[in-house]
Amino acid sequence: MKKVLELKGVTMQFGGVTALNDVNLHVNEGEILALIGPNGAGKTTVFNVVTGVYKVTKGDIVFNGEISVVGKKRWQITEAGIARTFQNVRLFGEMTALENVITAGDVRSKSGFVGSLFGLPRSRREEKANREKAMELLKFMGIDHVAHKLGKNLPYGDQRRLEIARALGTEPKLLLLDEPAAGFNPSEKVALAETIKKIRDAGYTILLIEHDMSLIMGISDRVVVLDFGSKIADDSPQVVQNDARVIEAYLGVPADAS
Amino acid sequence: MAFNLRDKGAELWERSPKPARVAIASSAMIFAICLPFLGGTFLNTPISSYEAVLVYPVGLFVLMALGLNIVVGKSGLLDLGYVAFFAIGAYTMAILGTTTSLNFWEILPIGIALAMLSGVILGLPTLRLRGDYLAIVTLGFGEIVRIVALNTMAIGGPNGIANIPTPPKFLSLEYTLQNQKAYYWTVLLLIFLVIWMIRRLSSRRPGRAWESIRQDEDVADLMGVRTLKYKIWAFAIGAAIGGAGGVVFAAKSMFVAPEMFTLNTSILILACVVFGGMGNIWGVITGAVILAYLPERIRFISDARLLIFGLVLVIMMNVRADGILPRKKREKSLQS
Repeated sequence: MKKVLELKGVTMQFGGVTALNDVNLHVNEGEILALIGPNGAGKTTVFNVVTGVYKVTKGDIVFNGEISVVGKKRWQITEAGIARTFQNVRLFGEMTALENVITAGDVRSKSGFVGSLFGLPRSRREEKANREKAMELLKFMGIDHVAHKLGKNLPYGDQRRLEIARALGTEPKLLLLDEPAAGFNPSEKVALAETIKKIRDAGYTILLIEHDMSLIMGISDRVVVLDFGSKIADDSPQVVQNDARVIEAYLGVPADAS
Repeated sequence: MAFNLRDKGAELWERSPKPARVAIASSAMIFAICLPFLGGTFLNTPISSYEAVLVYPVGLFVLMALGLNIVVGKSGLLDLGYVAFFAIGAYTMAILGTTTSLNFWEILPIGIALAMLSGVILGLPTLRLRGDYLAIVTLGFGEIVRIVALNTMAIGGPNGIANIPTPPKFLSLEYTLQNQKAYYWTVLLLIFLVIWMIRRLSSRRPGRAWESIRQDEDVADLMGVRTLKYKIWAFAIGAAIGGAGGVVFAAKSMFVAPEMFTLNTSILILACVVFGGMGNIWGVITGAVILAYLPERIRFISDARLLIFGLVLVIMMNVRADGILPRKKREKSLQS
């Protein structure tokens, strides 16, 4: 199976704090990989090193089997095909939902200043195609009815869905979702699980950070567990669920163990 | 402050049929073109020549406020040294006009190009900075340009450059001290061009890039927006407009000196942008017209100009922090 993303011995240090310690993990093409772990385990740091927010202290990150993303600019990584959402929703609040997605779609456009200024045919074509594609994505996420509402005025659930639509707008191969179900009620979580599966079935590969175990167990093909910046498990959901070290990381060591 | 004048206007605009829009737009343009003929009315300015006031400060302030608005209003980059580009344009006209046989129309593109180039040179290293740091660096740049001019004897030092030639006759328009209309219409033409340009860019890729940078630069970066490139473009376009204004200014006043390009001018143009409504061209134009024209019209204001401006800005920021005509806040109705 082809590896879409591979972290090879990645270490990330902030001063004396080691957020990631020699992490090796990979994401296979077309799978949903869940990344879990207690608070502060380094999950979001993984997203940040992959998307270029931080530069790794040691190790390499290979995308699509050939491109090393270490040292690349953030937009280059997005252009290569990695897109993400954020743990705390970070939309462009004063743009409409549609504009949010179109802005992300611009990374695939070829035309720039001159084309925009003089309304050259290619620029017009791209603007139109981009707009239509964005509308499709809003439909796909089930939020096309709020297309012309400002991002900041959307209900919370729609904001989260719009973040996913915006990430898909960059036409990624790999989609990174950072706690997409945070703040959702049980029925919204069920709907979200369906959406994530739908995205996977549409041909995207997904790396997912989530705390909700029922969601993870239901949709992920594989689960990687981080604890204090190190990988402690990497297996199918069922196996990971019963892994002694994972239970220990989440619940602590029983008193009589020592 | 729920009432948003700009949205009301935009709503009205969208509800109007196309012929009505054309009529409104063209009558506004004709009104602007006819302004110099209204000197005999209540618009007349008591101290300076009315027609000259329309060129500078009014026309050139509108032009420069539109240019600065791309940088500050659209892209959210606080530039406190905008007058530097105005100075570069003016000195280009002054130096080339007095030492070569090039005329105004030939120097104009050179002035624009030089201002643009200096915008890129300033932008490349400094646009990696954010917020306050960028403001400090641009403030320094503005002062450096002025001080270099002050200390370079080859370009007149503190005495500046005099006897700058006026533009040659264009069609039957003569550019003379007595006939300021020609200058005004030149500035107006530049303003129309800039409005057209900004409207084009705003609704397309560059406008979205600037908007996303202003709202959340980190996220824009991660969504694939080439933030540095678009910030430099914003700087360069803003600088080009400032440079164009400078060339016209030098040809109009026939004399330039370093003391014309102080920090005060930068702040005043910034005040026009903030006062009128950052990010909205109609607001910016309104702000610039008010702040440039009123002190000329009402005599006692011009004596205590800065004091009153300061007071007005403080009051504005408390009452209407988004300016007279704030940027778009409205949402389109469901069908688009």
